[in-house]
Amino acid sequence: MLLLQNVSKEYHLDEDIVFKALQNINIEIEEGEFASIMGPSGSGKSTLMHLIGLLDKPSRGKIVIEGKDVSLLNDDQLSTLRNEFVGFIFQQFNLVNKLNVMENILLPFVYARKKLDYNPEKHAVYLMERFGIINKKNTYPNKLSGGQQQRVAIARALIMKPRLVLADEPTGNLDSKTGQEILNLLKELNKEKITIVIVTHDKNVAAITRKQIKIYDGKLV
Amino acid sequence: MKNYFSFTLKTALDDFSHNKGRTFLTSLGILIGVLSVILLTAFGLGLKKYIKQQFEGLGTNLIMVMPGKGISGGPRGMASSVGGISFDERDLISLKRIKNASYIVPFFIKFANIKAPKKTEYVEMAGSNADVFPVLNLSIEYGQAFKKSDAEQGRKKIVLGPGIAKKLFGSAQESLYQDVKVGEQNYQVIGITKAKGGGGLGAPSIDDHVYLPYKSLASYNDSKKFFAFYLKTDEDKNIQLVKDEVTKILGRRYKTDEFSVGEQTDILNTVNSIFGALNFVLVGIAAISLLVGGIGIMNIMYVAVSERIREIGIRRALGARKNDILLHFLMEAVILSSMGGIFGLLMAFVVVFFIQNLFPAYIDLVSVLMAIGVSSGIGIIFGVFPAKKAADLSPIDAIRYE
Repeated sequence: MLLLQNVSKEYHLDEDIVFKALQNINIEIEEGEFASIMGPSGSGKSTLMHLIGLLDKPSRGKIVIEGKDVSLLNDDQLSTLRNEFVGFIFQQFNLVNKLNVMENILLPFVYARKKLDYNPEKHAVYLMERFGIINKKNTYPNKLSGGQQQRVAIARALIMKPRLVLADEPTGNLDSKTGQEILNLLKELNKEKITIVIVTHDKNVAAITRKQIKIYDGKLV
Repeated sequence: MKNYFSFTLKTALDDFSHNKGRTFLTSLGILIGVLSVILLTAFGLGLKKYIKQQFEGLGTNLIMVMPGKGISGGPRGMASSVGGISFDERDLISLKRIKNASYIVPFFIKFANIKAPKKTEYVEMAGSNADVFPVLNLSIEYGQAFKKSDAEQGRKKIVLGPGIAKKLFGSAQESLYQDVKVGEQNYQVIGITKAKGGGGLGAPSIDDHVYLPYKSLASYNDSKKFFAFYLKTDEDKNIQLVKDEVTKILGRRYKTDEFSVGEQTDILNTVNSIFGALNFVLVGIAAISLLVGGIGIMNIMYVAVSERIREIGIRRALGARKNDILLHFLMEAVILSSMGGIFGLLMAFVVVFFIQNLFPAYIDLVSVLMAIGVSSGIGIIFGVFPAKKAADLSPIDAIRYE
């Protein structure tokens, strides 16, 4: 489903100082995989996640999603792919404070170009019920606990029924109990054939995944 | 699509309500601009309408013959200011030969004191003949107009405008058949004209005029000179014909640049073009404030973009395209400026409503559409650069922005 071939990412910090964030990364993620990308901070795992999430482009190498080389796509096509193919879960939750829970969950649908074969409002209600936040439907994010916010973020990531869910340190801002609940949730989702990739520095988090990709200093180990 | 706009609108309005003071001040620039443009336009329109009404009161088939070249204003008040030739009874007799003119009226204009037993007023007197009433579209409310014979014999009869009648005697009815003194001569009030209104703008009201047979004014006008002639044609279409004839007849005695033959529409057009130009300049100056308001919007939109870089990043991550972000901020800018525009328009309506008694200003549909169109246009023009900046942010930089 997802293939990274010899992917490198470099940043030009100054005229002659080049920071190699990623070097020759080769990763293959199968449909329905439950994977983690683990490494300490500064190892390049976030850069890797941004590349997989189509937020950034590699300096060299190829990223292939369902047989398509994404480097050939233009900005609009990448946006559409992010909208339909990927669901993001962030450490900072990244909800829009001006929108209530229901609206936050529906936000990706606002930018959808394809006709959905389901009712997104109904699907949002289903997700809220499932994640135990239905009574917060009209609440604004700043009135929610961290765990509740992350549940909203997961519901938002799922509203477009994506094939891939990318979670960047999903438990990083949560206490251990809440963090565990969130991880269990992701585990459950994976059982429903959703491919999940968790980016983390935490061994315990990585331990629950089937496939563990370790990264150090921009290289796979 | 419905969702798309309601979401964008909601986030925009929400942003405004979180920054009430900022939103208010930003829209205020546009508000002031729209208010001043609309008000000045309303004054211009009101003035134009007022002048038109004044002219139409005299009828459209009216021809005015005056000394000099100037056709800009009636005979009133011009008597002393225009030099050159003055017409006399010989001209009147020759003009009477014109076939298609149903009325020909000479005017001798004089400002003088008119004395009632209890009061004296300084008025504009029109010495003319009996046809002055149909020519000026004046009807008689009380009593009657002086007759042809009165005019020819120079009888001391006077018709008062209702305004001056009220000033002299307390009411129009009471003045009827009373005696007034014009200079050393006693006149009998035989009629009072129906009120026509007008005046205001500092001009004397036509209701304050008095009419007397020109032949009765020998003490003022011994040689029977006239300042102007008014002719009324029997049909509108004969206007040019009669004008040509007047020019031909008077041309035998005077040089063609010593007198002018004009009609209502000439004067109306002249006046309109003068006021039109003046108004255009004023509205142009007021439009500068719209420009300043637009710059204010641009400034605040840049601030809004830099405050919301992270939000832009989130939206991009969730699938928003560059154009979605562009449209989002453009909509906010347009809402901001059209809010100013709409409130400016409402305030203009309020101002016009309250000054209507003093000044006949009015707001037409074109102004309303212009206010809304121009203020939205300003939003688009000045919003597009900040919106472009937002759209061009790279998703990765935006979402990592702290």
